[in-house]
Amino acid sequence: MADDEQSTDNPKPSGPKPLGGELILPISGLLFTIYYFTTIIDVPWTAQVSAFFVGTILIGLIAALIIRTSLRVKRGEATLGLGPLFAPKAYIPKRLALLGLTLAYIFFIQWGGFTITTFFFLLFAMLLLSDGKKKGLIFGISLALSIGGYLLFILAFNTRFPRGPVETLLKDVF
Amino acid sequence: MEIDWGLFGELFARTFSFWWVILPAILLGLIVGAIPGFSAANTIIILLPMTLAMEPEIGLIFMVALYASSRMGAGIPAILVNIPGTAGAAATPLDGYPMTKQGRAQQALAISFVASVFGGLLTTLIALVAMPWLSQVAYHLHSVEMIVIMLFGISLIATIAAKDTLKGLIAGFFGLMIGYIGADVVYETPRGTFGFLELYDKVPLIPALVGLFAVSEAFAVIEGESILTKRGMAAMQKAGWKETWEGVTMAMSRWWHIIWTSIIGLVIGIVPGAGAAIASFVAYQQSKTFSKTPELYGTGHLDGLVAPESANNGVTSGTLIPLLVIGVPGGATAAIMAVVLQYHGVTVGPDLFENQPELAFGAFTAMAVTYAIMILTVLPLARYMSKITVVSTTYMAPIIISFTLVGAFVPRAYVFDMYLALAFGVIGYVARKTGYHVAAILIGVILGPLLENYFLRALRISEGDVLVIFSSGIGNILWILLIISLFVPMYLDKRRQRQREQALPTTTDC
Amino acid sequence: MTDYENDVSRRLFLKGAGATAGAGALSMLPIQMAFAAAFPEQNIQVFVPTRAGGGADRNLRAFTGVWKKYVKQNFEAGFYPGAAGRVGYETYMGKAKADCYNLIFGNMGPEVLNWVVKKPTFPLDSYFYFAQVDADPACVFVSSKSKFKHIDDIIAEGKKRTLTVGTSRLAHPASLGALVLAQKTGARFNLIPLSGGRNTRGGVTTGEVDFGVLPASSVLRKKIKVLALFDDKNPLPKRMPDAVLTNDHFKLGLPPLIAGARAFGIKKEAVEKYPERFKVLTDTLQKVYTDPAYKKAVVKTKAPWEFIKYGNAEDCAKYVKYVTDLGQDYRSLLTGKKKT
Repeated sequence: MADDEQSTDNPKPSGPKPLGGELILPISGLLFTIYYFTTIIDVPWTAQVSAFFVGTILIGLIAALIIRTSLRVKRGEATLGLGPLFAPKAYIPKRLALLGLTLAYIFFIQWGGFTITTFFFLLFAMLLLSDGKKKGLIFGISLALSIGGYLLFILAFNTRFPRGPVETLLKDVF
Repeated sequence: MEIDWGLFGELFARTFSFWWVILPAILLGLIVGAIPGFSAANTIIILLPMTLAMEPEIGLIFMVALYASSRMGAGIPAILVNIPGTAGAAATPLDGYPMTKQGRAQQALAISFVASVFGGLLTTLIALVAMPWLSQVAYHLHSVEMIVIMLFGISLIATIAAKDTLKGLIAGFFGLMIGYIGADVVYETPRGTFGFLELYDKVPLIPALVGLFAVSEAFAVIEGESILTKRGMAAMQKAGWKETWEGVTMAMSRWWHIIWTSIIGLVIGIVPGAGAAIASFVAYQQSKTFSKTPELYGTGHLDGLVAPESANNGVTSGTLIPLLVIGVPGGATAAIMAVVLQYHGVTVGPDLFENQPELAFGAFTAMAVTYAIMILTVLPLARYMSKITVVSTTYMAPIIISFTLVGAFVPRAYVFDMYLALAFGVIGYVARKTGYHVAAILIGVILGPLLENYFLRALRISEGDVLVIFSSGIGNILWILLIISLFVPMYLDKRRQRQREQALPTTTDC
Repeated sequence: MTDYENDVSRRLFLKGAGATAGAGALSMLPIQMAFAAAFPEQNIQVFVPTRAGGGADRNLRAFTGVWKKYVKQNFEAGFYPGAAGRVGYETYMGKAKADCYNLIFGNMGPEVLNWVVKKPTFPLDSYFYFAQVDADPACVFVSSKSKFKHIDDIIAEGKKRTLTVGTSRLAHPASLGALVLAQKTGARFNLIPLSGGRNTRGGVTTGEVDFGVLPASSVLRKKIKVLALFDDKNPLPKRMPDAVLTNDHFKLGLPPLIAGARAFGIKKEAVEKYPERFKVLTDTLQKVYTDPAYKKAVVKTKAPWEFIKYGNAEDCAKYVKYVTDLGQDYRSLLTGKKKT
């Protein structure tokens, strides 16, 4: 599977395994389940039955994982380091920047519409990932894809893509 | 209903003469199927003005061809970039994507095309001949029986996560909890919605699908030059026509597998409201259960790709049966077809076979002809489609993010759904990086609410008697089958392990 | 989500830019833009609390397609599906300006029953419906294969054992119909919400439930028989020949229980601020009902013309009160909570 492939791509560190990262998802799951339970305390049983059943099992499973991990830590086989979550470290700034760009993309697309926002997102994101190389090619790809997306989805299929000034202006033209 | 073979022959000849309708519909269907957020149903709605203007027969052929090809289209990105185009293809990347990473994308595509086409073709023909009997399935699979069928699908969570069962189960049950977000089906009490009205009707599937698979993948792959492994890259650069042919022969060698997994799809498709996602998960789970090499599933195993692809195409013909025979559509696309036909004054239901047999049976001949034409058009494309995998992640990642996020927007036109997809992207990224299975989470999100719906419905009908789940004969047979399919692999596993230990006193870590 | 305020100003800006740019754009503008004096000067936005492509969409298109002739502006629909209409209403009340350029087009019955089950975030009297478009009565239906041939068969059986009743959701006028019927006749019904009309028809035809209740227009199919209508008269006797009128038959003494009553609604504040604009809307819309083009448009959508019915603000208010009161009577059954 994808995950397994990825972990085999990374060289295995020797020494205790950092298992802290493995706990992030279960702990989020635990917090979510507790929150979920608070929303169904005072509701008809139909709304409770499945969630209490599944949620209790989930809490049990998470408890088992926490116990397993702490035993391994105690035995010195593992640490609570975050390990592969942010590895390789060199990519942390890039990933965060890409996340920021994605958030900005979603934020601006509702005002700017699909075509122009997508163009700028593709342009900046590709420049970010290419470390500023191949500017011309990236400009061309971004332009072609945003215009192509406009032609296919908005003009030809009239799909409900986010619309903005460009789409409105072109609507009057076509 | 008497079977008139002469009529079938005439219908096939006639349908073939409409190749000029089928061909563009196939191309369109492949495209819309491949993009998350689009579906055959939406496309038919968008093209409604055009479909309504056509003769009912041509309109029906067009819709059927679009429907069948979109189902196949959804598997293409699932295999190439780990992004299922629709929930029905959510089980396809389990083995399809590992093949791609090994540089065997072309073979994987060819396998998926062959499995889809033959699964689709076979079930269409079965449907055509056995329609009067098959339509009875809908009368026997009610909530109680559907609960067990759902559990078949959900039990895949356990099988998927063979390497670390505990973590696999956590991912699956976390998914189920996420799937329970939203109002319950009886009293519509909102639960776990964080106050968002947009989550009142459960977690929308496309944003979940897009986030867990596509967005998280895009964030994960940027550390590599391409999504391929080094060996895979080398293999891809050498690839020619031979690889397509290899895929075809590999798939053909599994003809029996195609047959029985597509029949699973057909039967599940007949049940109104069930669907391709359930069918493909159930088929994958069954395929693994009865496999001699279950440990290979998830690593790019042939059978693991054949099963979901032939099953989800089996669903396509299945959903038309209740529509045409009892007038109850099996799924959203079938429902829209009914609307279009009604617009033309054609009322679907049993009378259709008496009054306009050419339309009723014509739907199935159109589907069969579509599959026949499709294999000829799409197979040669496998070689070119697979080239997308060598594109550098510098370009791929931003393209995947932007187009799939917009795809998450399309079904409901809420910007909220784009943020939701990003949130699922973060969950998916953490899951991938820390060894949890995104597919296990997704199975929970998709099947959890369905299971709850059937369960609550059954409980309500029985006025709160929990034992209702064992009240039906067919249901009980399904329960027994479920137990067998859960425990037989465990037993076989143990036995194999014992045999291996006897053969190899020192085990190697694989 | 399309932002309508922004949309409007953007459109104006672009139209302005188009005009200065000259020929092309200007020639496409309707003539009255140049005068821009009377209401409405811009397109009217309609918030629809259901998905695009559904019954409300078709219904609205048929209506506004004719209405636009009289107001001389276009209507733009924005669809906000979710939470049985809640999302649409919350969006309308939260985002739309109170300027008579923003309307909501909903289905009064099920949507006001939402408020009975759980109050919205806005005060209930901050909007009202001012034009009812159709009246689709609740009905009792069975599969044509069912052993029930007459509503009396259902009642008789319901006195022997609890019958299961498929409905699209509990908080729906059709469900109230079943509850009223059970209460008045002594039959025992167990309502099974099957999530939507399509699934409800499916549940009835495949025999999962004993019978179903839905708005009549959604069960005009072969293989389905309508056994009772909660109305004063049968609007389509030819297509529902077996339907008895519950009021006559069981002496219920109730007003018709309309399950589908689509209507235009508006913010109260908008009417208070711009009564003259509101008058333009109400005056023009009444012309639609008598326009033969409207009948043609409705017939084209395959919806029965017999269900089209005009109701003014007063009629709407009366209906809303009736459904709300009835909902309050059965609130514990709709919410599963013991306390009322």
